[in-house]
Order: sequence, then structure tokens, then C-alpha cells
Amino acid sequence: MATETVAVTESTPPARRARAGAGLLTWLGVVPFFLFALAFLVAPASYLFIGSFQTLDGQFTLDNFRNLNQPIVVEAYKNSLQVSFATALGGTIFGFLLAYAVTLGRAGRVRSGLLTFSGVASNFAGVPLAFAFIATLGRIGLITTMLKAVGIDLYQQGFSLYSFAGLSLTYMYFQFPLMILIITPALEGLKREWREAAENLGASSGQYWRYIAFPVLLPSLLGTLILLFANAFGAFATAFALTGGTINLVTILIGSQMRGDVLRDPGLGYALAVGMVAIMAVSITAYTLLQRRSERWLKR
Amino acid sequence: MAFLEIDQLHKQFGDLPAVSGFDVDVEQGEFLSLLGPSGCGKTTALRMIAGFERPTSGTIHLNGRDITNQPPNRRHIGMVFQSYALFPNMTVADNVGFGLKLKGMTPADARRRAGELLELIQLPDKGGSYPYQLSGGQQQRVALARALAIEPQVLLLDEPLSALDAKIRVELRAEIRRIQQQLHITTLYVTHDQEEAMSLSDRVVVMNKGFIEQVGPPFEIYNYPRTAFVAHFVGQLNVMPVRVVDAAAGRVALGEQTIILEPPLAANGQAVTLAVRPEELELGAAEGHNNLRGLVESVNFLGSIVRVRVAVDGATLSADLFNERLLTLPKAGEAVTINFPAHAAWVLEEQG
Ligand SMILES: Nc1ncnc2c1ncn2[C@@H]1O[C@H](COP(=O)(O)OP(=O)(O)OP(=O)(O)O)[C@@H](O)[C@H]1O
Ligand SMILES: [Mg+2]
Repeated sequence: MATETVAVTESTPPARRARAGAGLLTWLGVVPFFLFALAFLVAPASYLFIGSFQTLDGQFTLDNFRNLNQPIVVEAYKNSLQVSFATALGGTIFGFLLAYAVTLGRAGRVRSGLLTFSGVASNFAGVPLAFAFIATLGRIGLITTMLKAVGIDLYQQGFSLYSFAGLSLTYMYFQFPLMILIITPALEGLKREWREAAENLGASSGQYWRYIAFPVLLPSLLGTLILLFANAFGAFATAFALTGGTINLVTILIGSQMRGDVLRDPGLGYALAVGMVAIMAVSITAYTLLQRRSERWLKR
Repeated sequence: MAFLEIDQLHKQFGDLPAVSGFDVDVEQGEFLSLLGPSGCGKTTALRMIAGFERPTSGTIHLNGRDITNQPPNRRHIGMVFQSYALFPNMTVADNVGFGLKLKGMTPADARRRAGELLELIQLPDKGGSYPYQLSGGQQQRVALARALAIEPQVLLLDEPLSALDAKIRVELRAEIRRIQQQLHITTLYVTHDQEEAMSLSDRVVVMNKGFIEQVGPPFEIYNYPRTAFVAHFVGQLNVMPVRVVDAAAGRVALGEQTIILEPPLAANGQAVTLAVRPEELELGAAEGHNNLRGLVESVNFLGSIVRVRVAVDGATLSADLFNERLLTLPKAGEAVTINFPAHAAWVLEEQG
């Protein structure tokens, strides 16, 4: 047998030539994507990265990163981490319970309705979402006034939509549907035979969940928690529209460096953004690794 | 009292009776197969024994104990699933040791016992592997070991080989029988593959549409099928529409030709269906046998056997000949005589 070569020559059989051509075409197909990624992902990220090491007149400096260590920045990171973690955890738990109810529980009839809602709601964010919440839970929102009519004054009792709690509640609106979308397939991947095999070997329902179902779901649960975390961490428009910048979050702080109302320092803005990109990158990497593990388990 | 006594088991899904009047006694150490076409209720019957389905009526006794309504995790019955159903988050050793751990065995003892079982299924080195690292056949061996680890009183297998390649299937089949005999464990085996059922079992239960058609050893099921369904479902069958000419003498007519059977037969003049297995037919005429003239329709060479199809008055008969190097094969269109002894054919009861 002659050794195989892939070079296309005059003597190459037509089939092989066609295949090489098809290969080239496939690559041609993804060129727009790569151009797009280059222009709107790689270029801005590099720009950010370089900018974070430069003074206003282009000199190399580490001052931008040194400036991160000031109270307002530390507080912004703290707030962002808190909101993100709280809403990710809340969304994970609440979303999981709902997904459980429509897959393994008794609410199977509303499964497709819930999934459709989740698909829409998980993408509902920004100004429209903020207005929807202001219209319902704002100072003169629908629910606020209705509750007032029956003698419950939310704002008197310390609730405010424009506070940390209010912001978290608003974020929950897109957090738990995202959880439902991601965890439903994982729950459906739990095979009936696993439960039966476990019972057959003497396991109770609790033991089945403890030793098999929960460990099998754990990578998905952790992965989704991280994804929700990143999702909230990067949110800007919702928070800005809702609180007008009164809550100090990383994204809002970056925004104000760029647009330059209070503290105008683009270099600091770049450094803030690089810190945020780093947190996101770690999150997405962890998510991918966990997701890969759970796919391997749920495949067969 | 038999070891496993199943009395008049009935299961209704809505309007559909999935299993009706299922009544079988299984002896300790016996290997019993449930054989039947898809949807005949094999799995449902097995799942009632395992405790995953609750019978609509009827009882199950195991070793004198009524287990009809006992939850599955208290029955001490091992089960092997078609889809292996290994726990994906556990190593092979942990899968095998899972039932032992639940029983409160110390981790060291469980590990040692799991090792013994991996030895038994001939995968001693795979204890540390995860299920996704194993082939289908290996996974099913592990599933078998896992079910056997808890020393169940009965082992249930639901089409354990049907997801595997033909070659692995035959290998693992022999393996299952070897282990079953070594451990002398009472086994119920569901399959729709008659060869599997025949080669493995002490007795075969042939099912159809939720009912049991016949229970018996493979030889009996094959050679003395009690119903037309069993005769057709198990093995190849030639059928001939004949008319009884002389019931007392056992003489019937197939078109213009005469066939002599072992009497007694039904009343003269009645139309009945005659059955004969292809391997009972021989080419050529033979003294004292039934000799039928016909035209060769086709000749199929299948390796160890050659299947010759011959059109006789009103019927096409297959004759299975053993291959030999000296065999001269007839040609399509050729006129031939085929023969079979009187005792080889029998009258099929009407199919209801
Ligand atoms: N949970 C269920 N609900 C309703 N009908 C069912 C259920 N399980 C089985 N059936 C029906 O009961 C009948 C017997 O099914 P069963 O699974 O026992 O057949 P089977 O002999 O195992 O078939 P196969 O060889 O295809 O596995 C079928 O008609 C099936 O549709
Ligand atoms: Mg079945």
C-alpha cells in the first residue's frame, strides 16, 4: 500500500479532490464568525488590556491597578459579588425546585409552558425589566398600592426596590428561568433505571438521592450556579435603569469612569474591566469543565 | 411449595391487560426464560416480581413468604437491565459494592467482596474504571456482578444482551449460564430471541398477548408445541392445508397427493392444517415415508445448512439439508421428490 497524502494533484481521484474542496468551504463558512469575534471580542479585550497599563498620554504604568485598592472600588467589587452570589444561589435553588416539579414531580402538565416562559424571561433584562418592576413594586407600583390598601406598607417596613434587596429581587427574574433552562435536561437525563437499580439493591429514596441522583447532578448544579453568578456580575443596564447608579456595582463604576460624570479616569475603568473579565473567565472555565463532566455521565 | 410461586398474576394498564393469568412455579436453582414477541407482557411480568409494578391481582410467594406487596428494596431480588443502568458517578468497584454498603458491610469487606465478583465476571482489573470507560459488554458484566453481590434469592434479567453485538451476545450468554450454574441461583430471563431462550434455559415460558401459551423444557417446546402460536414463534415451520380422507388410517390429502399421519385424526372430510419442521424433510423418495412430488422454487445456501424450497400442490415447503462437500444441489425449476416420516408431522390446532 502506498502512503496516504492529502495534497490535491492532477492525479487525485475526483472524490478526494471534492473532499478537500469541501474542507476549504467549511472553513470559509466560519470566516465571518472569526472576523466578527476579532472585531468585537478580541480587539476590544486587547484594547482594554493595553489601556489598563497606560496613563492618559500613553505611558506604561501600574497605577491603574494600584488605584483599584481604594474604598469605593473595593466596595463595588464587594457589592457586585454579593448581589451575584445571592441571586445565583437563590436562582439555583428556586429554579431547581421548579424544574424538579415539572420533570420528576407531579407538575408535568405545565412543563412546556414553564420552559417557554423561562426562555423568554431569562432574556428579559435591562430597561424594560427595570420598568416592569418599578410598575409593580415601585413606590407607587401596582402591588405596592394593592398591599397598602389591605394595610401592608412595604416601604414603611423597610423594603425598597432601589436597595440591595430590591435589585436582587429584580435579578431573580432572569436568574431562576436560566437555571430552569439549564437544569431541566440534566434532570431528564437521570435514568429511571438508576433509581430502580438502586432500589433493587436495597436503597431507600433518600439513599438514591444521596448516593446517585445528587452526585450526578452536582456538576450541573455547580456549573449553573457559576453561570448565574457571571450572568449577574456582568449585568449593567438593569441595575442602572433601576437605581440610577445609586448602588455601587463594578459595572456601574466602570460606566461612570467612561462617561465621566463623577470620577473620570478611563485608565481605572480599564483596570476595573480587566478585573471583571478575569472573574468572568475563571467562572466560564469552571462552568465548562463541570458541564463536560456531567455530559460524560449523562450521555449513556 | 415451590421456591418462587407466582399465582394468577394479572396486570391492567387502563383498559389494556398487559399480563393475564400468569401462573408459574419456579424451583430453586432453575433457569427460566420468558419468551415472546414485543409487547406480550414479559417485562411487565418481570417488573411485578421485582416490585416495580403492583399487580392488579394475583400473588407472588418467595421461599414461602408473600412478597406481592413488598417494596422492591426489601425483596432481595437482583435485577439486570437492558440498558445496564450502572451508576455513572461511581467506579466499577463502587457499583458492585453499592448494595453491600447499604447492607452495612464495612468498606474493606465490601471492597474484598467486589473484588471476588469482578474475578467471577472476569474483569479483575477494572475495579477502578468508570462505566463510561467500559464497552457495552463489560458494562453488562458489571451490572450482573452488582446484582449478584447482595446474594439475591432470585436473579431477574430483562433482555440483558439485546443492546450488544451478535458475537459478544453469544459469548456473554454462555457466561451468564456458567455463573448461574456455579452459584446455583434461581434465574428469570426475559428475551424475544428464541435461540437465546432455548440455549440457556431449563424451562421456557412462551407468552403471547399477556397470556402464557406453553411452559416446558426447550426440547418439548420445539418438538411438541401445544399451540399454533408456539409452533410458529419457535423455529421454522412448514404448514400444509390438507383434507382428512380416512381418519382411522391417518390418511389426508394435500391437493392430489396423499400423506399418511399417525392416527387418530379428526372426522373425515374436515380441513386441517398440517405442520412439519424443515429439518425433517429430505430430498428424494424413501420407502415407508411420505413422498411428495414438487418443483424446486429456490435453493439458499446458508453455510452449515442448505434451504431448498419446493412448491407442492397448494403449499411451499422448505427442506433444510445439512451441508456436505459431496452434496449435489438441485436447481430451481427441477422436478424433485421430498419425503418425511409419518411421525414428523402433526395437526395444528386452530389459531384463536
Ligand atoms: N407503564 C405502562 N403504562 C401503560 N401501558 C404499559 C406500561 N408498561 C407496559 N405497558 C403496555 O403493556 C404491554 C406489555 O408491555 P411489556 O413492556 O411488558 O412488553 P414486553 O413483552 O416486555 O415487550 P418488549 O419485548 O417490546 O420489551 C404493552 O402493550 C405495553 O404498551
Ligand atoms: Mg420488555
